[in-house]
Amino acid sequence: MSRRRRVSPVVWLLLPWALVYGAFFVFPFLFSFVLGFLHYNPLNVANTTFVGAGNVTRLFGDAAFHSALRNTLFFVIGTVPVTTTLALALAWLLHAPLPMKDAFKAAMFLPSILSVVVIALLFKLFYAPGGALNETLRALGLQTHGWLTDPATALPAIMAMDIWAAVGYYALVLYAAFTSIPESLYEAATLEGAGHWATFRHVTLPMLKPALGFVLVINTIRSFQVFVEVLVMTQGGPLGSTNTLVMMLYDTAFRRLDYGYSSVIAYAVFILSGVFSVFALRRMRSQTPVQQRGMPA
Amino acid sequence: MMRRSHMRAVGVVAGLCLLAAFSCGKKSGSRSTSVHLWQFWDIAVVAPIIAEFEKQNPGLHVEVEQLTWATGLEKIQAALASGTQPDVCELGSTWLPRFSYEGVLEDLTAVYEAERDSFLMWDSALYKDRVYGLPWVQGSRVLFINRELFKKAGLDPDRPPQTWDELLQASQKIGALGNGVYGFGQNIGEKYVLYKKFMAFAWGNGGDVFDERGNVVVNSPAMLEALEFYLKLAPFSLQEKQEVLDQYFKTGKLGMQISGAWNVKNYALEAPNLDYSCALVPKPAADRGEHVSFAGAEMLVVFKGSQQKEAAVKLARFLQAYPQAKAVSLAAGSVFPAAREAMNDPAFTRDPRIKVFVEQSLTSRTPPAHPGWNEMEEAIDHAVEEAMYGRRAPRWCLDDAAKEITTIAARFNQK
Repeated sequence: MSRRRRVSPVVWLLLPWALVYGAFFVFPFLFSFVLGFLHYNPLNVANTTFVGAGNVTRLFGDAAFHSALRNTLFFVIGTVPVTTTLALALAWLLHAPLPMKDAFKAAMFLPSILSVVVIALLFKLFYAPGGALNETLRALGLQTHGWLTDPATALPAIMAMDIWAAVGYYALVLYAAFTSIPESLYEAATLEGAGHWATFRHVTLPMLKPALGFVLVINTIRSFQVFVEVLVMTQGGPLGSTNTLVMMLYDTAFRRLDYGYSSVIAYAVFILSGVFSVFALRRMRSQTPVQQRGMPA
Repeated sequence: MMRRSHMRAVGVVAGLCLLAAFSCGKKSGSRSTSVHLWQFWDIAVVAPIIAEFEKQNPGLHVEVEQLTWATGLEKIQAALASGTQPDVCELGSTWLPRFSYEGVLEDLTAVYEAERDSFLMWDSALYKDRVYGLPWVQGSRVLFINRELFKKAGLDPDRPPQTWDELLQASQKIGALGNGVYGFGQNIGEKYVLYKKFMAFAWGNGGDVFDERGNVVVNSPAMLEALEFYLKLAPFSLQEKQEVLDQYFKTGKLGMQISGAWNVKNYALEAPNLDYSCALVPKPAADRGEHVSFAGAEMLVVFKGSQQKEAAVKLARFLQAYPQAKAVSLAAGSVFPAAREAMNDPAFTRDPRIKVFVEQSLTSRTPPAHPGWNEMEEAIDHAVEEAMYGRRAPRWCLDDAAKEITTIAARFNQK
């Protein structure tokens, strides 16, 4: 009996998701790749022209792109390590016997359930003259400051907000990893005479590597895409000091109507965050400790 | 068995898709002609106006959609790219030139010739001697004065600054009050705002971005003089974003600022005891220059792809007409009709503060009708901001802006 192969129900169950994924991810991903080689303006689609690598070569010589790239790298390098270290410290604190631990966990997770727009609006008030930060400084007899209007402090102010908003989520991820480290490893370490630092360095940290890798990659990708915070708080100003790659991408597409060049910037962000993520993962993997092999997943 | 249920599932999905397709498709069977209108005001404000239009024009049906200021422009772009644009649309005056340039708008020069003298704010609709939009509502910026701080500083609140010198002196005196009080408010650190304030001084002084022949003159002596004066205000000014300036004025900590009518509406609700008045933007000197300010206008356009051109133009003209523009303006509370009739209507002249806005709009300017304006304004913002931060000498900042604007203009001239 020649029976036709039955389509697995899994396929049918995945179909709705696959359709949405195809329409809203795969298609735009490929379409913007094509756009990268075109001069495409939505108001004048009939006049679309092929420019080859023109948009790419333009990218290398564009001072605005260089400045946005610098700002974005500053943002990534300034936030990801700090967020990760703080998250690790908080996770470690949570792991220790603490009173009201659940309340701490809930408080830490709270920023993650808020919309970025809400957080950005709140911090705009927080940094404003007469806002909580400046009023505190004034009460302490210190000089107040226009945090978001000074080109030197605008980007760091957004970075500080980003760290505050992100650290709780990553701390909980790391905390979950902490709780899965078998007690027996700590007992063995104690028997070997390892101190606090040695235990952390040689037992805890290596066991946390997979979770740390996840935190680093996700946070790196997210940081390269920093946009909503900038749009709400500074729109790239003052003097372009907070103009990030995605902010520039947005302006290029929707204000300058240059979708081709904007797509090339999008791919630049994609490639950069990809390279950084692979680098972070490699570092995590190459140092996977001997102890971990053979451990149940 | 399994397969049959699969088939059934596929059938259901296909059926739903068809249903969706039909329900979204054009109602080809309906008897009346549908005109699609996209606009930015509350539907509740526009609905009665549309009902009146439909009553006056049996057989015409209007489908209204409200756009948001945050995403409206993107939606219009997407619609044009996919050929699903409405028949009539509201567009801001800073965006209109780009749309005119791209050739997506219906030529409304005939309407312009018929009603030219009845409306203000045509400039942004003009492109290469043709007109592509109808001025609907507009909003000027005026000088806000805190009368209490004026009295405290020994100034006469009934005699607001008329000239640059008087503005500077008043700022200085109010700034000297101390205690966290500033004389004047200057925008900084945000897009789309700074040039509106600075250009008021520049235009008043005879400066401009282009001359009559289209040459870039943004670094002319008149512009430089305006920038140098603007910088003189800095020591007595709070340099902040618009919302912070509005907040400071509301709490009585800011002597003067140039801002829009939305404040009159908000202060009435949030600071009913605030003692303030409005005045025309000061001019360079008693014997020269003009009281010029920036105005933003909302324009009505008809897209070229419209299948109902005649009905669309009819709807646009109906909306633009004074009674309708007045209804929208009064409901919004932050804009005024572009029709000259508003100048003599007690609804806009009874309140002395509101009257100033109406008066100011007679000498207000919209930005140059250049398709590259959105990029050019950034160059001006950058120049003024750089000078305000003391990064470079004002002359160099303006020279750079001129270079930048020339480059942008050249790109658009290539076509």
